[in-house]
Amino acid sequence: MQQEGLITTFSDAARAVGAKVADVDAVDAVVDYVKKLAKGAVMVPDFATAKRLDLTAALKTAGISLVENDLRQGAATAAVGLTGANFAFAATGTVVLESTSEDIRLATTLPEHHVVLLDPAKILEDDLAAVPHLRTFHQNSPRNYLAYITGPSRTADIERVLTIGVHGPKQLHILLYSGLSDDPLEM
Amino acid sequence: MSKVRAKEYQGRIDHALATPKLQDALHKFGDAFLLAREKAFSQYDFEALRQEIADCKDEVAAHRQQYLEQFITNAEAAGATVYLAKTAADANQYIAELARTKGVKLVTKSKSMASEETHLNQALESAGVEALETDLGEWIIQLAGQRPSHMVMPAIHMFKEEVAELFSKVTGAEEPAEIAHLVQVAREQLRQGYLDADMGITGANVAVAETGGIALVTNEGNARLVSTLPKIHVALLGVEKIVPTLEDAATIIRTLPKNATGQLLTSYVTWIRGAVPCGDGDKELHLVLLDNGRSALAESPQCRDALRCIKCGACANVCPVYQTVGGHVFGHVYIGAIGIILTAFFHGLDKAAEIVRACIGCRACVTVCPSNIDLEHIILSLRETIGHEEGIGLGKSIVFRKVMRNRKLFHSLIRAASLLQKPVTGGNRTIRHLPLFFSSLTEWRTLPAVAEKSLRDQWTKIPQKVEKPRYKVALFGGCANDFLYPELGIDLIKVMNKLDVEVSYPLDQNCCGVPALYSGDKETAVALAEQNIAAMLKDDPDFVLTTCPTCTMALQRDFVEFLKDNPVWADKAKHLAEITVDAAGFIVNQLGAAEVFKGLSAAEKVTYHDSCHLKRGAGVWKEPRELLTTSGRELVEMDHADRCCGFGGSYSLTSHPDISKQILGDKIKDIEKSGASCVAMDCPGCMLQLRGGLEKQEVDVRAMHTIQLLAESLE
Repeated sequence: MQQEGLITTFSDAARAVGAKVADVDAVDAVVDYVKKLAKGAVMVPDFATAKRLDLTAALKTAGISLVENDLRQGAATAAVGLTGANFAFAATGTVVLESTSEDIRLATTLPEHHVVLLDPAKILEDDLAAVPHLRTFHQNSPRNYLAYITGPSRTADIERVLTIGVHGPKQLHILLYSGLSDDPLEM
Repeated sequence: MSKVRAKEYQGRIDHALATPKLQDALHKFGDAFLLAREKAFSQYDFEALRQEIADCKDEVAAHRQQYLEQFITNAEAAGATVYLAKTAADANQYIAELARTKGVKLVTKSKSMASEETHLNQALESAGVEALETDLGEWIIQLAGQRPSHMVMPAIHMFKEEVAELFSKVTGAEEPAEIAHLVQVAREQLRQGYLDADMGITGANVAVAETGGIALVTNEGNARLVSTLPKIHVALLGVEKIVPTLEDAATIIRTLPKNATGQLLTSYVTWIRGAVPCGDGDKELHLVLLDNGRSALAESPQCRDALRCIKCGACANVCPVYQTVGGHVFGHVYIGAIGIILTAFFHGLDKAAEIVRACIGCRACVTVCPSNIDLEHIILSLRETIGHEEGIGLGKSIVFRKVMRNRKLFHSLIRAASLLQKPVTGGNRTIRHLPLFFSSLTEWRTLPAVAEKSLRDQWTKIPQKVEKPRYKVALFGGCANDFLYPELGIDLIKVMNKLDVEVSYPLDQNCCGVPALYSGDKETAVALAEQNIAAMLKDDPDFVLTTCPTCTMALQRDFVEFLKDNPVWADKAKHLAEITVDAAGFIVNQLGAAEVFKGLSAAEKVTYHDSCHLKRGAGVWKEPRELLTTSGRELVEMDHADRCCGFGGSYSLTSHPDISKQILGDKIKDIEKSGASCVAMDCPGCMLQLRGGLEKQEVDVRAMHTIQLLAESLE
């Protein structure tokens, strides 16, 4: 499948499970998006593309407060967790995050909103296409915490009624940002 | 058999049957599940996927030690501590001791059926450690002091009003019974628990030998919190979760959510290996690998396929018995069809003794199992084991061993019954009421009277007009066709003669043995198999025709399996299986003769009921429909056409008549709703059940065998 097709499939599948998908083309657009969303502090863990974009500086300049010290307590009160994604796969609208660093996990489990920056060039076809990268992660590091994330947290445990946002993020925002990174091993 | 145990079990059935709200919910869930599941698999080849999973799990089972060692070596290399727990008590003791030595006060848990299996929460409590369930469903049942009634949706039996009451006790405020609100209450109440806990306990859906890691397939996000925030992470998992490679794990994970909840993928799939960072240091990861009967299961040739199970719960979702009584009756800790088998091996045969008989044998579970487990077949073999251990009851024992195996005695007793029944039949073909302690048998359906003259007793007098027979076939009538509905056999001759087929009726044929087998008396079933093979092959027929799909399964499947190691009978059984075919399938597939009936019938509105063993045993369901429509009838499909009618032989007469009655009620509603004036089927057992129910409820729909309708067309 051509990349354009994969992007469409990915976006449709992600929206079908309740994720929001938007295009951004610059750091300012990311900052605007987060600013509109955030009703409180934003947690930005360390990841390669954030550093390259100097994302935290841009957010601070825009007057957004960041969680910086005591991340465990801070993450629990943060409104938004902002991370990258290593890659994604289209069939199910899934983003894949190498989450061995605890900060990535805190930012993607505790805040009510999770915003993900994804280079659409890194959208693969499906879960089987993801396996070789999964294997590489395992080969490169002796310990791993790898996460497939597909839409926001959900439950149907009461009367089988689908309800969004139980323990994890209530909203998942995927910002498609071309030119971020073409390396699926990098976030 | 324990009388106390049986009485408690009946009490649970009565309670469940008195809760129509639960039945309604489980029925609606079953319907919605099938639709969602079909949609989820629309781009995938389910048959291929389930074969892959079965092959993978079989490979691991065949080389258990090798993959176990590989997994442990890799897990330990990544910094995990691995403990092999032989029993549930071992696992509990290890975890409780770990908690004690580490000074753990609070444990947060995400959903783990293995921990339900070992009753870990009680063990932790006894050790003075508080265990907090964080999966919404698990938390609800923990607050209610209950056990899960479903493997994927533990609180499926509860309603929002009950949940609101439980939550109100926790918060001390009046919580409204609104689902979104209740979910928010759980979010807020459990949040602090993750931060305060010193230990997090999860299960695992897959363990990968190649990496030494585990994968968790979840929706709520609690497992990610449980495995991230506390300093210690304990994963409790059955040894059967081990698969060789990441590809194998991916295959299971792509299949599991689709088959469990109809989701393409769950919100989260989390791959964890080794001691990942936690706060200022590294997490302490303990993997507790639970055997607890799994090795014994792997050693059982009849039952070992059950170890392939990936715990999706689909076998319960589609089960008419589960839908009628729920998982607190039809299960122990593990529920539904797979629950019967796992209970026997993990919790003991006595815990499975009642539920092993509660399976009606409809095979609905077999068609949706993502690991290609023939659940019904395994349950039958367990029933036999329990029959050995506990006996099958004196009455049945005499009937099967002393009477049925002696064909002449058996048949003369039935003939005697046809005379003795006169006072209750009044000479009619159906029995509407039975006196005294038999009265409950005819409370909800009439029963057919034993025919005055059986099929075998009038066979030679039935004229056959075939000048140059295309085939010579032998009819295997089965007891119902022979003694209850001989007219069906006469109609079969009429139809076959029209198609230039000559029919014989070998008089030495006996009961197919299924009633004995289903009651746990395999010995009698094998004896009957030998009698029947000899009888049916005596004149070397081209085909053996059946009008009852349960008999068909016996001839096609069971006889072969019983006798596969018997040099005298193995080949003969195989030959009989090869030439046995049900009548409707024979007309369409072997004769290609549906067109013969073209337009011969009036345009009656007919709906078709798929008999369990015809559709899911013999794979025949298109053929009778083709015959009915070709003959000029208007076929209107009822809802749930292939859902069991509730007959199940002795299931409806002696073992579970009250469940049978409920399932019949569902079927009659579907038949009525279709607007048809006739319901067709290809099984005398279903005919007994449906005709009896329709008559009793005075529904003006006739219940007919397809062969009877074809004979009508020829009139």
